[in-house]
Amino acid sequence: MGMLRVISKRGDDRVQWNAQDAQSGDTEALAAIREAERIFAEERARGATAYRVEAGKPVERLEQFDRTAEQIIMVPKVVGG
Amino acid sequence: MNMEMLLYLMLGILVVLYLVWIWKLSFHSFLKWSEANQRANELLRSVLSSEQYDQLTRNGYLDIPSPSDPVCIYRVPRVQGLVKVIEQGRHKESLCLQAQEAVPDADHVLIHKLMIEANEQIYLQTANRLALVGSGDFLF
Repeated sequence: MGMLRVISKRGDDRVQWNAQDAQSGDTEALAAIREAERIFAEERARGATAYRVEAGKPVERLEQFDRTAEQIIMVPKVVGG
Repeated sequence: MNMEMLLYLMLGILVVLYLVWIWKLSFHSFLKWSEANQRANELLRSVLSSEQYDQLTRNGYLDIPSPSDPVCIYRVPRVQGLVKVIEQGRHKESLCLQAQEAVPDADHVLIHKLMIEANEQIYLQTANRLALVGSGDFLF
């Protein structure tokens, strides 16, 4: 399972997908991935940064949506205070 | 009941209705903020190791080692505020960086951790740096 989490004032908004089901052509899984991709692109356009966060692995910054990621966390635009 | 009393009575009812409306709005906002905090805490807890989470709850800050400098750590407070840069146990400077939209405190800790660990250089370029002079005066 993959999960996109978008940090916001509500805590975080989540979208989940099943990459294996999508690979076998499951329409619901494909729709979930499309939705996650759409949110990813929308948040990036708003200045958010995406990170791949997986247990036991170093945090990695993502420029493109990766359906194979276990967890992607999107951080809203940050500025020096 | 004369006209004046009726006017006062209606005014009183309006004031009570207004207060009830304000109270409902405040309570609703409080509930939403409380739920957001809970979600943010759950996310942070899932990303931190148990040692890191213990440090955060026990000491009120999280130490994040610099990926590029083995003697440097970033001390991120549990509530939003300045991040201390500590080199060899000495507070060298403070960093100020915040999300453009209001997010719960736990999300703030997570944002610092992700930025430092994934790209320290961009983190340092984005943050405002406040160098310490002497025993704690700031030099902007």
